[in-house]
Formats: sequence, C-alpha cells, structure tokens
Amino acid sequence: MRQLLRDLWRARPVLAVLARKEFYARYRRTSLGILWAVGLPLLQASVLAVVFTRIVHFSSAIHRTNGVHVSYPVFLYAGLTAWSFFTSNMPGASTAIVDSANLARKIYFPRALFPLLVVTTGIYPLVIGTGVLFALVLALQHHIGIEFLWVVPAAALTVAITAGLGLVLSALHVYFRDVRFLVQAVMSVLFYLSPIIYSLNAAPGTLGKFVAYGPMAGPIELFRLATVGADHGWITAVVAGLCWFVVSTFFGLLLQSRYDRVFVDLM
Amino acid sequence: MTDTVIEMEGVGKRYTKYDDQPTLMNALRIRQRTKRSHLWAVRGVSLEINRGESVGVLGRNGAGKSTMLQMLAGVTAPTEGVVRVNGRVAPLISVGVGFHPELTGRENVYVNGTVLGMDRATVDRRFDNIVQFAELEHFIDTPVKFYSSGMFVRLGFAVAVEADPDILLVDEILAVGDFAFQLRCFERMEAIRSQGSTLVVVSHNLNAVRGFCDRTVLLHQGEKVFDGPTFEGIGRYYQLLGQSPREEDDSPLPGQTGRERDTLEIEGFELRSGAGRPTAHVHSGDECVFRIHARALRAVEQPFVGITVASESGVAVYSDTNRQDPLPSLKEGERATFDVTVRASLAQGGFTASASVHRRRGDGSILLARAEPLQFFVSGRGMVSGIADLGGEFSLGQAP
Repeated sequence: MRQLLRDLWRARPVLAVLARKEFYARYRRTSLGILWAVGLPLLQASVLAVVFTRIVHFSSAIHRTNGVHVSYPVFLYAGLTAWSFFTSNMPGASTAIVDSANLARKIYFPRALFPLLVVTTGIYPLVIGTGVLFALVLALQHHIGIEFLWVVPAAALTVAITAGLGLVLSALHVYFRDVRFLVQAVMSVLFYLSPIIYSLNAAPGTLGKFVAYGPMAGPIELFRLATVGADHGWITAVVAGLCWFVVSTFFGLLLQSRYDRVFVDLM
Repeated sequence: MTDTVIEMEGVGKRYTKYDDQPTLMNALRIRQRTKRSHLWAVRGVSLEINRGESVGVLGRNGAGKSTMLQMLAGVTAPTEGVVRVNGRVAPLISVGVGFHPELTGRENVYVNGTVLGMDRATVDRRFDNIVQFAELEHFIDTPVKFYSSGMFVRLGFAVAVEADPDILLVDEILAVGDFAFQLRCFERMEAIRSQGSTLVVVSHNLNAVRGFCDRTVLLHQGEKVFDGPTFEGIGRYYQLLGQSPREEDDSPLPGQTGRERDTLEIEGFELRSGAGRPTAHVHSGDECVFRIHARALRAVEQPFVGITVASESGVAVYSDTNRQDPLPSLKEGERATFDVTVRASLAQGGFTASASVHRRRGDGSILLARAEPLQFFVSGRGMVSGIADLGGEFSLGQAP
C-alpha cells in the first residue's frame, strides 16, 4: 500500500493535467460553460424551495432550536452543495477504472488515479457552488459571519468521503459490473435519507439515527454550520462522516494496491 | 547502475477465460459455478536487454507479443516470474494515449506530454519541435477530432519521441501515416537510439525490424523460440510462417506440383528505382526492379521466379514467371539476387507485389519460398484513372 501511495504522489502532475483536461473538455462546446455546473443545483434548489414552501407549506423561514429564523432556500442549498458534488461524482468515480480502459491498457499509472481524477475534476464546480452559497446567504439572510469559514472543512469532508468510496467502488466495479447500477439505486434512495430537504433531527427514532450515520450527513451539517447553523446532533453526523472517510479510504487503498496491476486483464 | 535495462526472468502471463462473466451473484454463491479455463499467453520467457540495444519481437498473431509489451510497459503484472524495467518507458503501443477529441492539438500535446512523464517546462521548451515534426503548424489550435488519422498519429508520435524515453516500446503503429512520415519516424527512432535509448519493436513489418534491430526475439505460442541476430531471426520467423496452415491456401502457380522447404530462403524482397535505389514509390511509366535476396540452403537447379502485382482492391494486375527460361543453378550456401525489371505502366495508387522462388522438376515446378508481400505506391499522370496506364496517345485523323 505504501508503494501505491508513493506512486500516486509521484503521479500528481498527471492528475492535475488530466483534471484540467476533463474539465475543459466537459464545458468546451457549451455556450454557458461552467454556469451549468452551478445552474443545475441552483435550479434544483429553487424547485425544491418552491415545492416545499408553496405546495407542501413548510414555512419559508424555519425556526431553529435557538429560536433564530433562517431562510429555507439557504438551508436547502447548503445541503445541496454537498449533495450535488456527491451525486454528480460518485457514479463516475465508481466506474472510473473501467471507463479509462483505453488509457489504462496502454500506459501505467496507479489505477487509483482514475477515481481520484473524477473527484478532483468535480472540485471546480464545488468551489463555485460554495461561492453561490455565499451569495445566497448574503442575499437572503443579510448576515454573514466568521462561521462561514466552516465551508472549508465541509467541502474537504465532502470530497474526502466521495474519494474514499470511489476507491472502493471503482475496484469492485472492475469485477462486478452491477456496481454501476447499485450506485445509481443507492443514490436515488440516499437523497431522501440524507438531511437535505429536512433537518437532521426531523426524522424520528431509528430512522433519525440512520439519517445521521449516512455518508453525506456530516458534510451537509458542516455546510449548515457555516450558513444557517447546524442541527442538533451534528457532531454525531460529522464523526460518522469521518468514519466513512477513514474506513472507505483504508479499504479502497487496500483493494487498489492488491489488484492494481491485474485490473487490466478484466477490462 | 548496470547496463541491463530490461530483465525478464521466467515470465509467464496467464489469462483466465471465464465462460460466464464474474457477476455479483456468482461471487456471492458459495459453490463456485463459474466455468473457467486458463490460457498462458506468455510462459517461461527470460531475457535481458541492455542499454542502447534495439530488439525486434517477432511472432505470429497470438504468439504473445502484445502481452509481453504490456508487461514491459507495466500495464499488467506477470502471473509468474519477474519483470524488471530500469528507466522511463514510453509506450508507443498506441500513439495519442489520452488525446481528447474536443481539445486542440496544443492542449493535447501538454496532456499527452505530461502523461508520458514530461513536466510543463519541458513541454514548453520542446513544443515547437513537436509541432514541426508532426507538420501541424497550421492545425495545432484545431480540436483533434477534426484531424485525419494520419495527423493524429503524427502528433502522437512526435510527442512520444520528444519525451526522451529510456525505453521506447513500438507496436504496429508504423503501419500508419504516409510513407514520407514513416521514413522520418525511422530516422527519429534511429536518432533516439544513438542517444542511448533502448528500443523494443513489435512489428509484422519485417523491413522495419530488419532495418532497425540487431537482435530479434521470436515468440511462438507464448514461448521464446529464438533470441539472436535479426538476420537469423527473420529466417526463423519465415519458417514459422511456412508452417502455418493458412499459407497452404495460397494459390499455386499453374503447373506447381510440390512444395519444398529448407532448400532456399528468401532474405528480402524490395523494390528499387531505375537508378538502383531502394524505394517504395515509383512514377508511372518508370522502369523499376523487384529484387529478391535469396540464400540457397541446398543446391538449387534451374530456379525461377514468380511475381504478381495486385491493385489495392486485390485485382491481379500482372502475374508472370520465367519458368520457361530458368536462371542458372545455385550452389549450396550461395547467396543470390533475383531481379525482375519491369516498366510501371500503372495508374496512380497503392499496389502490392508478391514474389516466390521455385525450381523446375520435370514438367512441373516446386515452390521453394515465398517473399513477404511488398507495398508500393505509384504516382500517376494527371488525368489517368483505373489500374493500368496504357499510355494512350490522342490524335485526330481525317475521315475517309
């Protein structure tokens, strides 16, 4: 595993240049370019905000435990910032090794580079999305403080968990092609089981615990902490998130270093 | 630091052929129901290659050449044995690795260069050389998806050779690109080699291997059956080809009554211009010579040559033999060249020439050896199309 980490470290410039390439290639022929990366989560947030305030009649300002009123759209978008990174990169990361067969068959890099590449490429939109969050907080809450800096660990944890899971799933996907669909299925369920449209303590009992232990609960709560204030029990969620990161990264690197040079035989 | 840059010790690569793919369900099942069979693509191969050497790897399809290159490139690990590679490898297994169609040539040069191990400053420094070598000055800012396949290959090759690899692995790519470019590739590879890089060439293009490699490794069914001078290696390769059942389908010359191996060996087949220079490009109407280099392994009485020129579409344009008028006999061990001088009355296009050497026996003839077909190109006169240029003269006559 140490060898793998050394090789990965050495492959940094390749990672950087390939990430830039992916990024440019993705937005090159679009008129709106990077705006799409920001626009889509924003659109989703707007729709959800309209649905839940106008149709389902949540109040557009929700009360926090400390009695402060916060804007529901901001609350929502804070969660979506983490979630949209996860949902737009997890499927790609989990199929990354097989998808790069063309490159992988011809030249050697640690295969772990490929899921990490997908995740790295996703960082640009995440940064911009965080900027939008900043603007939203300013526009709708008229107050922003030093606590906004929590977005840094929030974003870092989001990326780290996705990368860790990407390492595990991309290795498994080489052997079990079901992984692709499994990921899609889990993503669609996990959206509702993560505290995005509701707050962490909204779900009762066992279900509530389950929500807090989900992979994205920690990052979402950190984004909330930066903007509208975290829900009760956020520390549990963040600790769970750190566990997701550590455990998945460990097993991911284990699998990657074990099968690094034989993946290609199955592609 | 030793001078050995590539070392293989008892290397074997086993592929598992699954009759049903490993799926999640199969893996979860306790009883292993997956039917699998094993296939050794390479087995028991040991060899050492020193710095500055240039080694050709020959073998028929499926002999394990590509697997061996993949192991040298580090793309796949051997199942048994050890592969040690000392230095930076640039695999030309396929050029343009990582080229992205939406990006411009310029951007792809940076991506590809980094992939091949150059840093940004190095690419900056060598950028002009790369573009110039690829002859893409006017297209470098065009997305590569608009490139022709030749342009794509040229750019890929140009980047790879600028990456200063310690070891250059060359696969069949040299079959692509026009003839002029191929020549420049060869020159370039020669230059790289003289700077002390090591070259491993896998090719069916025996002319390339012969021109380039002092040493040849011959693989057959995954095993190394020969390792030595290229000259001898090519001969061994032909013997292997001769054993292939496919060659027996080749249409025999009329009157052919037998096949004899180990009597005569063809060491080369080339086209020479009227001026006597080896070439692969002639002008319509020019005189040129097909030359067969042969070595008699035993005495050959009354040898004669059969030659066929076919168009790109496979139409035989010309087929001829001097069976009725054989050449002087050859002694055992004697080397000789058979020349067939022709006038290239052909229209513009690519052609293939194939040749064989026979001997007479009674009324029949016996095939001794067949040369690897030779591709060449004819530049024609402006308005002529078709296959042959009959050199028509147009005139106006008075009606009676």
